Amino acid sequence: MAGQSDPHISLFSAEEVEFMAEDELIEIVPNLRMDPLNFICGDFGPFLPQIATQVPFWLAVALKKRGKCAIRPPQWMSVENLTQVLERERESQGAFQVLPFHYVEISRLLFDHARDDIPDMYMVRSLIEDIRDVRIHKVETSLEKFSGTSAVKIPNLSAMEVNIIRPFVGRALQAFYKHDNPEKIPDVDRASSAQTRAANNEPRMIMAEEFYNYIQVSKRFFFFFWFAAATEEITNHFQPASDEGTSVLLETLFGESYLVPFSL
Amino acid sequence: MANYYNIDDILAEEEFVPVVFHKAANGVVIDPSSETNSVEQGAKVELPLWLAQELYLRQAISISVPACFSQRTRLEIQADAACVDLKSRSPYFYEFGCKIAPLVGDKTIEILLLSAFKIRYKEILTKAYTAVFTTTSKFLTLLTKEETNLYEAAQASMAAFKKWRMGGPRLQRASVLGRKRKPLD
Repeated sequence: MAGQSDPHISLFSAEEVEFMAEDELIEIVPNLRMDPLNFICGDFGPFLPQIATQVPFWLAVALKKRGKCAIRPPQWMSVENLTQVLERERESQGAFQVLPFHYVEISRLLFDHARDDIPDMYMVRSLIEDIRDVRIHKVETSLEKFSGTSAVKIPNLSAMEVNIIRPFVGRALQAFYKHDNPEKIPDVDRASSAQTRAANNEPRMIMAEEFYNYIQVSKRFFFFFWFAAATEEITNHFQPASDEGTSVLLETLFGESYLVPFSL
Repeated sequence: MANYYNIDDILAEEEFVPVVFHKAANGVVIDPSSETNSVEQGAKVELPLWLAQELYLRQAISISVPACFSQRTRLEIQADAACVDLKSRSPYFYEFGCKIAPLVGDKTIEILLLSAFKIRYKEILTKAYTAVFTTTSKFLTLLTKEETNLYEAAQASMAAFKKWRMGGPRLQRASVLGRKRKPLD
C-alpha cells in the first residue's frame, strides 16, 4: 500500500513524493486573462493580469513554463526566516523546527522552474540545503535512541525526510517487534496479515497521503487535454493521422512531457 | 509454513541442527559413509531444520541447541555484539534463532537475539547513512542476511534521494517513441 515504483519495500520514490508536493497551493501573478478553472480539487482563478491568485503547484509550474505567470515564493522562503530556522535547528538537539511538510520538494521545484522569481536565490538555496542536512543528521541521532519500543514519535518531520528513513525504520521496528514478542508473531500469510497486524499494534509507517494519492493522477492530464483543446492553434500542429501526431499524444499520456509542440 | 514462497525463509530452514534419534530408522541414508542404510537408536547426527522439525513433531528425535547459540557465542555477544561475526555462525542468525527457540525450549535464545539486535542495529544505522562504501565493506561481512537487508534498504533510499536532488534528465523518453514506424507496403 504505497508508491507504484517498487512494490516490495513500501517506499515512494523521490519523484512520487515530489508529485504529491505539487498539490500544495502557491501564489502566482498571471499575465494572461483566463476564466476560472474548475477542478476536482477545487476552483481556481479567474486569472487577470497582475492580480495574484492561489493555484496548485503543478498548475503554477505549467503556466510558468509557458511564460504565463510569475510565481511568488512562499513566506517561509525568505533569507531572514531561513537563517532563524537554521540557527534554532542547530541549537536544539532533539526537536525539529516547524517547516512546511513538503519544503524539500517545493524548494527544489522552485529552484528548477522559477529561478528568476526568487530573490537571493543562491543564499536561499544554500540555507535550505544546510537546514536539510542538519535535520537529516538529527533524524539519524534520534533513531539511535529507540530500542525495542513499538511506537516512535518524531514530530515535525517533512515528507521527504520520512520517505528516506521509511524502509529502514519500518524493517528495524518489525525486527524489534519480532524479537520482543516472539509468541505474538502472526502465523499467517503476509498478504492476509493486514488485519492481524492492526489488532496487534504492529509498527507500521503510514503517510496519510498514500490513499489520497491514487485519485490525483488523472485530474492533471485531464487539465492538459482541456488546455490543449482550448487552444485554437492546436489544429495547425496536431494531425492525428501523421506519425508526429501520434507521438505527441503518447507523450501527453505517458509522462510529464505535456510540452506538446504548439504555443499559446 | 508461514512464508512458503519466501526464499530467505527456505534458506533459514536449511541450517543444520544437532539431533539425537530416539528410534531406529531403516532405509535412510543420512551419512553417506556409513555401511548400512539405517540409523540406530541414540545416534547423534546433524539434520537440516526443516527435517528435524517434522521428526521432532513425530517424537522420533530430540533437538539440542545448535553450535551458533553456544555459550562461547553468547559471551562474545555480551562483550561486544557489534564486532561478532554472526554471518559465519549462521547467515540467518535471527530467523534461525526464532525458529529453533521453541523446539529446544530455551527462552534465553530470544533474549540473546533481542540484545544482540539492539546493539547491532545502532551500528548498522550509523554505517548505513553516513559512512562511505569502502570503509563499510569490511563491516558488511559480519552482518547476517537480515541485517544486510536492513542496511541495503537504508542505503538504497538515501541513494535514491541523492539522485533526485542532483536532478539530471527529469523526463525519460518512452522507448516506443524513438522508433520509426515501418511503412506499410
